[in-house]
This record gives sequence, C-alpha cells and structure tokens, in this order.
Amino acid sequence: METDKNNDQVLPEEKLFSGVLLLNAKVVGLTLGVIFGLGIFVATNWLVIKGGERVGPHLILLSQYFIGYKVTFLGSLIGSAYGFALGTICGALMGWIYNKIAIFRQ
Amino acid sequence: MDDNPVVIIGAGPAGLAAGYELISRNICPVILERAGTVGGIARTESYRDFFFDIGGHRFFTKNEDINRLWEELLGDDFIRVNRLSRIFYRGKYFNYPLRPANALFNLGPIESLLIFVSYCRARLSPSPEENSFEEWIINRFGERLYRTFFKTYTEKVWGIPCSEIRADWAAQRIKGLSLLVAVSNALFGGQQSKSLIEQFFYPKFGPGMMWKSFMDRIVAGNGEVRLNSEVSSIHHNTTMITAVEYSDGNTTGKLAPGHCISSLPISRLVKLFTPQPPAEILSAANQLSYRSFIIVVLIIDIPTLFPDQWLYVHSSKVKVGRIQNFKNWSSFMVPDQSKTSIGMEYFCNENDQTWNMQDNELVETATREMVELGLGEKTQVIDSYVVRQSHAYPVYDSEYKKNLQVIRNYLENFSNLQTIGRSGMHRYNNMDHSMQTGILAAKNCSGEKHDLWAVNEEKNYLEEDRGAREVPAVPEKVLIGAFARMDKLAFASAVGTICGLLVLGATLWIISRGGDVLNSHLRLLAQYFIGYTVTVKGGFIAFGYSFFWGFLFAWLFAYLRNLFLAIYIYNIKRKVELLSLKDFFDNF
Repeated sequence: METDKNNDQVLPEEKLFSGVLLLNAKVVGLTLGVIFGLGIFVATNWLVIKGGERVGPHLILLSQYFIGYKVTFLGSLIGSAYGFALGTICGALMGWIYNKIAIFRQ
Repeated sequence: MDDNPVVIIGAGPAGLAAGYELISRNICPVILERAGTVGGIARTESYRDFFFDIGGHRFFTKNEDINRLWEELLGDDFIRVNRLSRIFYRGKYFNYPLRPANALFNLGPIESLLIFVSYCRARLSPSPEENSFEEWIINRFGERLYRTFFKTYTEKVWGIPCSEIRADWAAQRIKGLSLLVAVSNALFGGQQSKSLIEQFFYPKFGPGMMWKSFMDRIVAGNGEVRLNSEVSSIHHNTTMITAVEYSDGNTTGKLAPGHCISSLPISRLVKLFTPQPPAEILSAANQLSYRSFIIVVLIIDIPTLFPDQWLYVHSSKVKVGRIQNFKNWSSFMVPDQSKTSIGMEYFCNENDQTWNMQDNELVETATREMVELGLGEKTQVIDSYVVRQSHAYPVYDSEYKKNLQVIRNYLENFSNLQTIGRSGMHRYNNMDHSMQTGILAAKNCSGEKHDLWAVNEEKNYLEEDRGAREVPAVPEKVLIGAFARMDKLAFASAVGTICGLLVLGATLWIISRGGDVLNSHLRLLAQYFIGYTVTVKGGFIAFGYSFFWGFLFAWLFAYLRNLFLAIYIYNIKRKVELLSLKDFFDNF
C-alpha cells in the first residue's frame, strides 16, 4: 500500500489520517486472483467430495465461460487457473482505476 | 581541593546526581547545601524517629540509567510498594485512577449521567481555544467532570483559578503516550506503554536514605558536601561566574568555580548576582512565582488509619490538599507499629495567611480537618510536627514562559554556569528528570554538549536518553500507510467499473459463442436487472446496473472502512488520554 501524504507539517495525531490510500495494483490483482482461484477450487471440490447423483448441476455453468472446466478435481484446477487469471486482471484493473481517480482528485 | 572546583549549589536530587557523575569522572565537586540535610525538596525529615517526606516521592522512572543508579546505591533497601492512592470526596473513596463502576456507585446515577452528557458535549463540540488548564481539561473530560474532580484540588494546589493556569502545564503533566506509539502497540504489540504505575520503589527509610547514599559516595570519591552553607552572593564578570560566597552562620567562605551548577530557584539565583543584573532581568525574576508547601505531621495512637499511601482531598470545605500515610509507604517510617503518622499537606504561598499561621494553629487546623473528614478522632493525636517548604512547585501562570525566557537569555552569557533541577529550571521536573539534568550538566563540564532544557520535553528528551525511548514498534510511515483514508469515490468508481465490465463481458461472451443465447442461464439476471436480455443492448443495460450496485457497495465499504478506522483511532486516543490522566494528580 502506498500513501500520498498531503501535508508534512501535521501533528502526530493528524498524521494518521493525513494520507490517502493508494493501492498497489499488482498486489490487489494477485490477492483477488488468489481468492477467486481458491474460491473456485474449494467450491468445485466441495461438490466433488459431497458426491451425489448429479454433481454440480449449477456450477457446471461456469464451463460456458471457462472452457474445459468440469466439476471434477481436474476441472477444479482448470477453474482455479481461470479464476486466478480473471481475479488478477479484475483486481489489477480495479487498483489502476482507483489510483488514477484518487490521484486526480488530490 | 582544586583551586577552581566545580561548585554545585544545592544538594537535592539534581545537585547530588551532578556530584555523583563528576566523581565518576574523577572530578571532585564542592556541593553547597543551605539545609542541614541533603535531598532538597525530596528530602526526608524525622521527628522522634518518625520519618516523613516533604510531599510523597515515589521512585519510578522510564530512564533505565537512573533506575540502575537507584538500585546500585540502595540494593535491598530499595523496596517495592504496591500503590494505593484514592480521592476522598464527599465522604467517599474514589479509586484513582477513576474507574467507571466505582465512580458511578459513589456519585450516584444522576450525577454520573450528567457527567456523561457533559463529556459527550465536550467531545462533540470542544472549545477551539485551549490556552488555559481549564479549557484543556474541559475539552477532554467535560465541564462537569472538571468541576467534580479537577477544579477544587487543582486550585488548592496552585492557589489561582484554573482559568489562569496555562494549558501547556497540563499538557506537560499529562503527556502520556504519543498516539502513534499507542496505535503501533495496539496493532503490533511492542514494549509496555507508559505504564499504569501500580507499583513503585521506595527507600526503606524514605528518599533521604537515597540522598544520603549519594552524599556518602561523593564524599568517598573526595568530593565535598558542605551542609548549612547558604550561598550569599555570586560574583561575575558578565561572561563568567568568578566567585561563589557562602556562609554557615558563623563563618563565610568563597570559592572560585571553574564551573558552577546551580539548582537554586532561578529567580533567587539572579538576585544573588554581584553586580546586579539589569532591571528587566530582576523584574522577570520577581514575576516568576512558586508554590510553597506545609506539612503537618500528626502522630496517631492507632496502628491503622486508611490503607492508602496518600489521599487526594477534593473537598472545598477543608484546606488540606493531600494526606500522606507514611507507614503505608514503608513500615520502617514509624518506630512503633502500634502507631501511625500522617502528613496533612497544605499548599500555600510563602508569607500568605496559611504560611504565617503559628505551628499550634496549623496543628489545630490539621487535627480538626482530620476529624471533619472522618479519618480519626482528636484524642488519637498524641504528637505533631510542622515543616514549611518554600519554592516547592514552579507556577506556570500566563506570563511565566516569557519571564523565564528573559532570564535564560541572560544566563546564557555565562559560559561556566548551568542551572538544573526543578527550581533551577523553573520546570516541573520529577526526581528522575532533575537527576538527568544534573548528570548532563556534569557531563557538560567535561566538554560534552547536552541541552538540559531538552530534558522533560518529550520528543527531545527521548532522543537524548536512549534508555527512556518510547517509539512505535514500526516506522511512522508504515503506520500512516496502514491508516490512510480510502478515497470512497475512487474505490466505488473502480469497483463499479469492474462489476459492469464483468457482466457486460459475460453477456458478450455468451453471444459470441452462439446457440440459444436468449435462453442462456444468464437471463436469470433479469430477475434483478429489469430490462436485461442476453443481447448486446442487454449487456449494456447490465453494465449500468452492475456499475450502479458495484459503485454503491464499494462506496459503502470504503466509508465503513474509514469510519471504523477512525473509531479505532478515537478509542485508542481516548484510552491514551485516560491513561495519562492516571498520573495527573500524582505529579504535584
């Protein structure tokens, strides 16, 4: 996380709120990517372990977007990769847009 | 003895610490002390083998070097005492520091509610001006709490309205932790914050035992401590102190100091100069004022009176400001454990009505007030003793800073003169601060360059003294980064954009794959996004909806994040202020 300090001449107490948060786009992207990837991995394998007559009738819809995805262990790995990629791109883009607007406003 | 020795005026904590430091550097000082015993304001007096202090003096410091020195000098004679001191108000004992449940119980629900309302009002709408002690306290604790617990006692101590005491005195006494350190400790742990002083150390027979130990070491190191030697004149040539004249009542002496370290009250110091300083210096000196102190010791013929080491008496119906119970400091302070000795402390000005009361009148007043407060019976008082102490506390009135600076500027002309200690610097130094000034002054005599005026100024003092450093566990920059405000609009815009793009992208992806797109599961979004269809137009409609909701929730997220952080900081700040309040009454 980076900050953009507005004023160097502030009291210690005010210093804590003197900065405006800037996001490290790479970090946010990576974080979101990991969360998405993990989420899909866990969601898929949860259903695989749960088993049943029809495994993941709704989660399989993800295959419309994630080509090759299935509700199987192998599919969870594929889905994680897609999720990671998507999360990373979304997070990085979000961080980039946030920083641009925040800096513009300062 | 050296022809041009280091002459130290005053054998209080500062002077003795200076002497001790000089001895360690093989420099033999001459210490001139007016009284017949060492210790200055922090001395221990005795009467019929009952020992008592002139105002209680706890040995507690953040300065590791001073701590080591104390332990080195006294060893096992330095005992640990569990602190108990309460406020005696309206016939009830209030825990000090104030504890909500105890205060509520004692004050009653209505008064407690009024105090709470007053506190909230002060926090929500504080006065923009904070020039006086009164304004400073009211802004932090509310007017009602100020009037209940601060005003009467403070005015007893200082003898002037709180509205005339400067705010910087309150700030100095109520320093506490810096907020950054408190936040750092709250987040990352770290060293113990400015401690809640639940225990302190104390020499078995009172502080005098410590000071006598210092004196013995100084004398053993070939230094001299001349008691009953009052300085009568200080000669100078406008740039150096050339001679110090003193008298023990019978004979006079004169020393030609190589260095002169004075712990005399700074106003008295300049008045002893020969030739006299310019008129404006003397005028400034005359305007510096000090609060004096009378302790009336009552020897009580019962083993226990109350368990506290001392009580703060906030009632305006009695003159006594504080009551010491010396047996509770150390049982060695009384020779006969079937008896107790208490010190009724009266704050006054030299030569005012209280000061000029006869000893028997003071004893009578003290006894009557003790009975009035319900602490004991008149018949239990079997003996008494009175001690007067002038120049006990420097007064921070509205002009003191200006007057002090005038004197300081003048004294800077004298290359071989340094002033130390509480009275010598007209600064509310505790024993450890005073000792630190003495030690640094001694080091300066060896050519080092320490700023004595930086001691007890929090930032610089901490920089000077590594042993007492209190810094955040992580760099300030990291802390500021952790608490930086999130730009709500920027975050909301970014998240809204991404959400919109995701839904638009998903719609366009499905369309591009072809097939029965209209019946794609994505159409279920129409349950939330009215007008949405799995078409290009529908994709942009969904973009709008997604952007809106993403924007809203992200804005709320950022707002709440900032709000909770602010509340978190506010709570820590409030705890810091309340923590620092703990020491407020202790520092008189």
